[in-house]
Amino acid sequence: MIQLHNVFLSYQKEVTALHGINLHVPRGEFVFLTGPSGAGKSTLLRLLYAALTPTRGQVVIDGQNVTRMTRSQIPHLRRSIGVVFQDFKLLPNRTVLENVAITLEVLGWGKQDINKKVFHILKQMGLEHKINATPLRLSGGEQQRVALARALVNDPKILLADEPTGNLDEENKDLILNIFKDANIRGTTVVVATHDRRLIENSHKRVVALDKGKIMEGHDVAQ
Amino acid sequence: MSRNKPAKRPKLANEGLVGRLRFFIDRALLNIRQNVFVNLVTIGTITLAILIISLFMLVFVNLEGVANDWSKRVQVTAYFEQELAPPELAALKSRIQAIPGTDRVTYVSKEEAFKRFRERLKGQELLLEGITTDVLPSSVEISLKGASRNSDAITAYVARLKKVPGVAEVQHGEEWVRRYTTFMNFMRLTGLLLGGFLFLAVVFIVSNTIKLTIYSRKEELEILSLVGATRFFIKAPFLIEGVLQGAAGAGLALVILTGCYYAFLHNAGNFLSFNPAAAGLAFLPPVYSAGLFASGVLLGFIGSATSLKRFISV
Repeated sequence: MIQLHNVFLSYQKEVTALHGINLHVPRGEFVFLTGPSGAGKSTLLRLLYAALTPTRGQVVIDGQNVTRMTRSQIPHLRRSIGVVFQDFKLLPNRTVLENVAITLEVLGWGKQDINKKVFHILKQMGLEHKINATPLRLSGGEQQRVALARALVNDPKILLADEPTGNLDEENKDLILNIFKDANIRGTTVVVATHDRRLIENSHKRVVALDKGKIMEGHDVAQ
Repeated sequence: MSRNKPAKRPKLANEGLVGRLRFFIDRALLNIRQNVFVNLVTIGTITLAILIISLFMLVFVNLEGVANDWSKRVQVTAYFEQELAPPELAALKSRIQAIPGTDRVTYVSKEEAFKRFRERLKGQELLLEGITTDVLPSSVEISLKGASRNSDAITAYVARLKKVPGVAEVQHGEEWVRRYTTFMNFMRLTGLLLGGFLFLAVVFIVSNTIKLTIYSRKEELEILSLVGATRFFIKAPFLIEGVLQGAAGAGLALVILTGCYYAFLHNAGNFLSFNPAAAGLAFLPPVYSAGLFASGVLLGFIGSATSLKRFISV
């Protein structure tokens, strides 16, 4: 599902963010990317949803070579990828329903279908009673669940998460981890970048450790 | 737990040109409702911008109107070699009428010329005692078409008029016409320069205001591109919003201008020594108003389009 072949990425000539990355994530796998701040976790994720292009090497997502994609092809790739962030990235002046609906509006769904599908996913997240609330009225855990609902509402093939539990308490971390696991069981390939040791230890999934832009020897471990 | 099935796509609601247009207009209206303050700032800026330009145009149009009235005084008088009988006079008049640039040819008889002279000397009629009408020659007064009322055109016209058989002498206010032409050229050049600078300033201010308002919503643009929206899908509602802001701003400016114009027309007499209504103060012609409205719409559209270019990376 995800293949990186000898990927290098330099922001400027001196700063190399990623250094010869080779990674293969099969369809339906759950992978943690871990490592200290500045190791290149977020940069690697940004390559996967084509927000960055590598300086050298190839990135292949679901059989499509991202490095050879034209600008107009990128939106179509992103429709099969859900992304969540530490800071949730919700629109503060829109309701929960409207925030989640964006994903389906982009796909051209009709209003009634959108409402049904959004209600269904919010129910799965335990947020159906907050459907008309704005994000600022929600707790951090609830906001992250809304962001997850937005990422998962179109049943994406891949779910990418960048420090998704960074701003959450222990109880909410477990809740979020369970949502990732559920999505994975339904067939979504999940890649989570985190330096939260407890989250990794509780999940018993494959861990890829990065340091200074490289995958550490002997640290691509299937647990 | 059921596994994901291949992407299930229900019947699309926004297919076809009308469906898509309706969706984007709905989205633009929703954006306006959800960002009222930002929209009010943009509309207010466009209103002020168009109001400044329209006030400038109103002054310019009225100055040009006054200058046009003055130009009607440009007149050429032709005197004859000898007194003409009516058939000869008619032939001469039609020959003059055939010269390009001629608007109207009026015959002034000796009697008429004497009458005018007498009127000019009102109160001192005694000076004319013992003088007969024969002392003044008859003539034709020629008024010219608008395009021929400048120094060069009049010189060319007079040259052709002098070649008409029977015309002995031609007079026209050479000095006056020269000054008038210089004044008009100066006014047009000043208007063009001032208008140009004003227009540039307005475009700069409006485009920067729109840029700031779009910058305040860059997170929305980012999220839309993250969930796979095409550039057109992201841009369309913002462009429609820009057009609506431009139309609202320009419309409001024209309403305020109309209100100010009528308020000035009816109240200026109280604090000014002249009555603008009697002086023939004109409002902008409909073509100018339509042009200003279109400029507002264009300003909103172009402002949004150029700002979006900066913030959309997909």
